[in-house]
Parts: sequence; C-alpha cells; structure tokens
Amino acid sequence: MSKAKGHFAGIDLGSTMTKVLLIDGEGQVVARRHGPTGAEHRRLANRVMAQALEEAGLSLEQIDYIVATGYGRVNIPFADCEVTELSCHARGVSHLFPRARTAIDIGGQDAKALKIKNGRLIDFVMNDRCAAGTGRFLEVTAAALGIKLEDMGRLSLEATESVKIGSTCTIFAQQEIVGLITAGKPLPRILAGLHEAIARRVLEMARGLEIEADVVLTGGVAQNEGVVRAIGHNLGGKVLVPDEPLYSGALGAALLAGDMASKASANGAAVPGRERRLEAARLYEDLED
Amino acid sequence: MAEEKGLARARAVYRNRRHRAEELKAAGKKVIGYLCAYPPLEMMTALDIVPFRLLGDINEPISKADSCLPSVVCPFIRSTLDLGLKQRYEFLDGVVMAHSCDVAEKTAHIWNIYLKPDYFHFIDTPHTAGPSAVAQHRGLLAAFGKTLEELAGKKITTRSLKEAIKLHNRQRALVRQLYSFRKPDPPLISGVETLQVMVALMSLPVTEGNELLEEVINEVSRRQDSPPQKKARLLVWGSILDNTSLIEMMEGLDASLVMDDTCVGSRFFWPDVELTEDPLDGLARRYLVDVKCPRTFRQTNDGGKTKDYRADLEARFGYLKEYARDWNVQGVVLQSLRYCDIHGYEVPQVKDYLKGLGLPSIYIEHDYQQTAMAPLKTRIQAFLEILDRG
Repeated sequence: MSKAKGHFAGIDLGSTMTKVLLIDGEGQVVARRHGPTGAEHRRLANRVMAQALEEAGLSLEQIDYIVATGYGRVNIPFADCEVTELSCHARGVSHLFPRARTAIDIGGQDAKALKIKNGRLIDFVMNDRCAAGTGRFLEVTAAALGIKLEDMGRLSLEATESVKIGSTCTIFAQQEIVGLITAGKPLPRILAGLHEAIARRVLEMARGLEIEADVVLTGGVAQNEGVVRAIGHNLGGKVLVPDEPLYSGALGAALLAGDMASKASANGAAVPGRERRLEAARLYEDLED
Repeated sequence: MAEEKGLARARAVYRNRRHRAEELKAAGKKVIGYLCAYPPLEMMTALDIVPFRLLGDINEPISKADSCLPSVVCPFIRSTLDLGLKQRYEFLDGVVMAHSCDVAEKTAHIWNIYLKPDYFHFIDTPHTAGPSAVAQHRGLLAAFGKTLEELAGKKITTRSLKEAIKLHNRQRALVRQLYSFRKPDPPLISGVETLQVMVALMSLPVTEGNELLEEVINEVSRRQDSPPQKKARLLVWGSILDNTSLIEMMEGLDASLVMDDTCVGSRFFWPDVELTEDPLDGLARRYLVDVKCPRTFRQTNDGGKTKDYRADLEARFGYLKEYARDWNVQGVVLQSLRYCDIHGYEVPQVKDYLKGLGLPSIYIEHDYQQTAMAPLKTRIQAFLEILDRG
C-alpha cells in the first residue's frame, strides 16, 4: 500500500450482499459494513455506506476517494470511479496474503478464479451465466433442507465421508438431494457431498489457469468451512481464507482508491472524481426506461 | 435512402438491409441469399444475380427454429433459420448454402424442406485444403454454376466470370484500404462504423457496394469527427459478429476495436481471387484455401509430416501476428458464439500462439442475445484493467 493521506472507501455491490469498507492512509480498516443487495434493498447501497461512515465517525466529504466494484458498480452515485471485482479481489487478496498466486472467489451468483503476480491481476476465468455451484446454490439447498445457511459448513464437517452428488445445477441437485434423503442418507454426508460438488466445479474452471500456490479462497462462500475443506482436499494442499472473506473485494476497492490517489498526487494531479451524491443507486433496469 | 452518402448510407443499409434488395427485385433482378463466407459471389454476379448474405437478428427471440433444430447448436444459425421461418427472407428468389460447418449443412437441408425456396443449391465444401480437396471443390463450383445458369436462363462465360472477379477483387481492395484507416491512433473509423459498412456491402450488389466504399473512404480520409483516442487497441477474433452491440460495448469502455478476424469483416474480404485462365480454378482455391475460417482443417505446409508444434501454429495463425503489428494491437478478444465447436476447438491453440507473441488475450463466449451483455462487459473491462497496468 502506498502511503496516501486521508481515508479511502471501497464499495462492493454484489448480487447478494453490498459491502462497504473504509481504510485510512496506512491501509488500516476503520470501518466495514454489509447489507443485503436483495430485490427490495438493491438500490439502498447508500444506507450501507452511511452506516460505515457513522461507524468510522467520518463524513462522506472526508473520504478522499471511493472505488465501486461488483456487478452493481455502475451508476453508484457516490463513487468516484468503478473497477471490476476481478481487479479488486486480486488487490485485496494480495494485500492480505502477499504470497498468493491464485485466488478463488465464490460469490452469490458467480465464481471466478484469478491469477495474481506482483500483487496484480494477470489472468482470470469466470463461470457462465448460471448460479450452479455458487452461493445461491447453497442458499436454495439450505432452504430445501430446512437448515440455516450458516450452519451448513459446520454440519458437513461431522461427516467423515460424503455421498456423491453429480449435478451442480441448482434444480437437478435438489432432485438428487430429495432422493438421498428418501434413501435415508445422513444429513452431514449429504452436505459434504454438496460441498464436494461445488469444489469440483470451481476447480475444474480454475484449472484452466494452472493453479499455483498460495491459493486463497474468498467471497461469501469462503465463510462455509465445508467448502474450504472440500477445495483443500481436491487441491491436495492448504487453502488460505481471509478472516473476513466477504470483504476482500471491498478491501481491494478501498486499496485501489488509495493507490489511485497517491499515483495522482505523485504526478501532481488531482484524482479524477465525479460529483458524489449519497443517494440510492440506479441500476441497469432504471436506466433502460 | 438514395440521398444519403458514405457512412450515413452504410448505417441506413445496416438498419434496413432488405430495402435495396426489394427495390432491385421489383426492378426485375434476381436476389439469392447465401449463408456464411463459402458460396462464391462472383458466380452470381456474373449472371447479374444479386447475392444477399443471410444474417440473424440478435434482437429477435428465437421462437420458431427450435421446433426443427436442436437448441444446443450455433445460435446465429438458429436465429437465421428462425427469421426464414418467420418469412423475413421471403423476398429472396432462393438460397445457396455450403457445408461451412455441420450446423450450416444440416440447416441448409432443413431450410429447403421447410421453406421450399424456388431455387436451392448446396455446395458440399470440403474440410481440408490440400490439392485433392481443391480439385473436388472446383467440381462442386462447376455444378453450382449449372444450377445458377438454369435459374438465370443464360450461361456464365469465361469473360463474364472474369469481369465479376475483377469487380469483387476491387471491393476487396477497397475494404483493405478502408481498414488501413484503422491503423492510426485514434483510428479514423470506429469498429462499430466498420461493421455497419461490412453488413451493408453484404446487402448490396457489388457495384453499389464499391460506390459506397468509395464514398466512405472519401469521407473517412478527410473527417474531422473521427473516434476519440482510447487507452487500448483491440483485435477481435472468432465467430460471426453481424450486429454492432458487442463492439459497441467494447468501444463504450476505454478501447478501440482496430482490427478483426471475423467473417463479416477481414476474414470475408481479405484474400483476392487469382485471375486464372479458367476462372473456376482461382475461385476454387480462394474460397477453400485462402478464406481462413477454422471450419477448414489446416496443417503445416508439409502436410503435417513433422511434429513441430510452433511451426504448425505459425502456419495457421501467422497472419494474426501481421495484423497485430500493422494495426498496433495491444490485446486480442477471442470470442465465440455458444456451441460454436469449430471456434471452440481452435481457441486453446490460438491463445497459445498469441501468448508466444506476448500478446494478451481473453476468451469469451456469448449467446447471440442483446440482453446478455452485462456479464461480458465485466470480463472485457477486467481485461482492459490488466492491459492498462501491463
């Protein structure tokens, strides 16, 4: 992290969660907040920002630069610029784990694998437009099994072996699970099987990049210790997980905000920003009207 | 429309492709639809038949084609057949299709069965490019000539065919000249404008296309409103792009599309036809060997006897190195329509070749749908972020 004075913010408007993280000029986190992006909340990223500012005791004007990322990064009325979540995750992950060469990010509706060199994104792959094997897949499955999403990982660790689940298609996997329950398979084994299926799918995609250690797993799904175990098992090695995996993208965005500010001041220029309004975000749908 | 000139005319034709074709038909001309880059246009031009490229429509949801084609095949061809089934090509006197890929081959026959065009011809284009394949291709073109002559009620003469070859070679030379305006930074013509011109050329008789090109070249060479300078200069490779939306998305980011290797672009127009004594020899060679679509299997020049992987890549993709150098390309977007197996097979090697040149590339697949651009935008934007810092 280059030493820039002041405060910087990253806002990661993901498909499921909106995350805001504020750092000071030393790269120390001064506040972090998240809230659901879901249908009724999706325009309310400004509230998450306001909460984070309150937590840090800062006003919007005191934030020197704000980078927006995530699928909703376009048209956030209080961000100074937008950077893709791929670059932000790479920046965030290599700040936390300087030896990281590969990052796997599993979010609410997509999964991506990143190659990192010298702290920068150099290549990536993303899954296609299907939520198979992502956070949404776990959410839907948890609901179908009548358990809490946050309990899935812990429960699955009780299993010493897993059942085989062939499909990561959210719909087809439901059918398989119903069959497994009917067949009397214990819940932890079914969950372990689900996590295995996710791990296989995401690694199949990531192998296109030639996975190199250290490997970091990030994104909301990295909070599920069952998925972490399954990925480590399939890789035959250790997988590192940040303390707050949900915030890696927002952290990277905040760090990049600091980078941009210090680069601009080194050149004796003002950082190119936009007029900020702490208002609800407009989405593609609004703009198309 | 007649009053519009140059780029404005190209845009108008792009937006309403059939307008001029229908006028020509009303004036008594025959108009034949052709699919892909393989039916030789010169043979139609020689008989005063207007060739009209069959394209799809990414804004039209596919609703009829799925009853006669599997849904897991080329969405461009599904869209094109869908338009046919919806009577959007009813003004044509017939169609000529080639075995450009397996989906095109099957669709040709499905088109014939369902749409019963007055004229139908299928060219079973070989899939290799050696001497025996060229000889076979020549025979296939001679047979195509016969059915065209029946349709036209007159003969193709050596002279008329040579004249047509000259007209089409003239068009190719003008297209190459137009593409040279993309070499400066910023380019004098954007990727979106270029594609509009290419689609217009495929919707007009060759003489009118040549006039349009001359107007466009004249306009672009002296224009004051050329596209703004962008951070990255990109080349796009791959499946057919017959709609500007993907390029518009890229150029809406901080990038200029300065060169392409696609079949509504350089791949279609680049190589000339050699004026051989028997013009069919030159046509057979150009359309089979010189059009560089991965639907044709190519080996190293010695017929694949050596196992020199790098030499093989160089023989197949060496032209991309020249494009990248001459157009000062910083990154390559490899794009394929979903389920396009011929491009899918080629991607790992073309990517490897570009890596060997030190040229970054990104591979994207798309669905031939206007609505599916946002996830692609994230990929392109991240690629530009990588290039920016490289």
